Amino acid sequence: MPKAILIDTTRCTACRGCQVGCKEWKDLPPVATKQRGTHQNPPDLGPYNFKLVRFAEHMEADGTVKWNFFPDACRHCIDAPCKSGASIEGSIIQDEATGAVIYTEKTAKEDFETIKSSCPYDIPRKDPKTKRIVKCDMCIDRVRANLLPMCVKSCAMGAMSFGERADMLKLAATRLVAVQKEFPKAQLCDMENVSVIYLVADDPKKYHKFAVADASDAMKGAPGMTRKEMLAGVFAPLRKATKQMQG
Amino acid sequence: MSVSRRGFIKLLGAGTACLGLSKLGIDLGPAQAYAAGLKIEGSKESISICPFCSCGCNTLVHVKDGKIINIEGDPDYPISAGGLCAKGAALRSLHVSPNRITKPKYRAPGSAKWVEKDWDWMLDKIARKVKDQRDKDFVLKNEAGLEVNRLESVFSLGSSQMSNEECSVAHQSLRSLGIVHMDHQARV
Repeated sequence: MPKAILIDTTRCTACRGCQVGCKEWKDLPPVATKQRGTHQNPPDLGPYNFKLVRFAEHMEADGTVKWNFFPDACRHCIDAPCKSGASIEGSIIQDEATGAVIYTEKTAKEDFETIKSSCPYDIPRKDPKTKRIVKCDMCIDRVRANLLPMCVKSCAMGAMSFGERADMLKLAATRLVAVQKEFPKAQLCDMENVSVIYLVADDPKKYHKFAVADASDAMKGAPGMTRKEMLAGVFAPLRKATKQMQG
Repeated sequence: MSVSRRGFIKLLGAGTACLGLSKLGIDLGPAQAYAAGLKIEGSKESISICPFCSCGCNTLVHVKDGKIINIEGDPDYPISAGGLCAKGAALRSLHVSPNRITKPKYRAPGSAKWVEKDWDWMLDKIARKVKDQRDKDFVLKNEAGLEVNRLESVFSLGSSQMSNEECSVAHQSLRSLGIVHMDHQARV
């Protein structure tokens, strides 16, 4: 049965436990940093940061400042465009049991720009040492051993849940209805197409440029994927789910 | 090859399942190989406590060949239910960091250099300093003539990780010196 992660950003306090937990489990080396006037650190995902809590500030029309948190990582797309864009057999694989999209050592031979631009969420990064293309692997080693992915395990706020996809979709719909009472613009990001589903309280663009699929790069080169196609059908099941919940 | 009816249906089922999966473009096999080897497999698991704030979250420490290879939250701990914040999640790095100080270091007044010292020297030095300070500043009576027996020039910064029993012992020893200023790091 495919698995899914639900990330309820309304419960995220941006403690960054997930970000550090990920780095620790993966034994990723430290990265030199400096004060940039934001808690978002490092500034972007990198070869040694597969998970990053993004901080986004904006001012509402009434003058109140909103601070949105977005624990960004690979969405493990159900039909992964990066996998379709790969040219070497076995470089990008999808785990049958979980749906996790995994980059193997063979990605060292892939064209990085092709893989990176095929991703509608701007996730893949290249390790300058090993030349491998790297990203989150849903902690496939842990999941296979019946342990939670490290980010989900670390989350003390209960913002992240991991489980059977069907259960996560149900939970997502329940939470959406609850959150919408306070935040009418709340929505689930690209629920139909991905295994890592984000619940946001406002316009996803107010969280992160790539909170929902942005295939503007992919449209230029990679085969067959347009932004429109990526987003097609996203909202249909969502409406259905909320309708069910609301009766 | 003889196949029973039951066996034949089983085979047919397996074949159809494989066909279905390959149609979806899902590779069988390589992912299993990739997932092989959980790094904490065969390690000894002990419970410890995060040394940072007063939540005092339990942690699971995985030790293999005498080395800490992983530290993560303890799901049985009721406060965090296995979660850890960024500080707690970094405990293994804290432990293995080359910058971690593992020996007492002394910086003489006015000096810019830290000098390594052994524990006996350090404890004697601290005891001497505390005793001298106490003897110098101990106040028997306040301005109104009331008996106060206090030492206002020494401050104790304790730890939020201390148990009730440890707090009790620390409190008694500090009070016996007349120290009245006490706090711990989670409040500052």
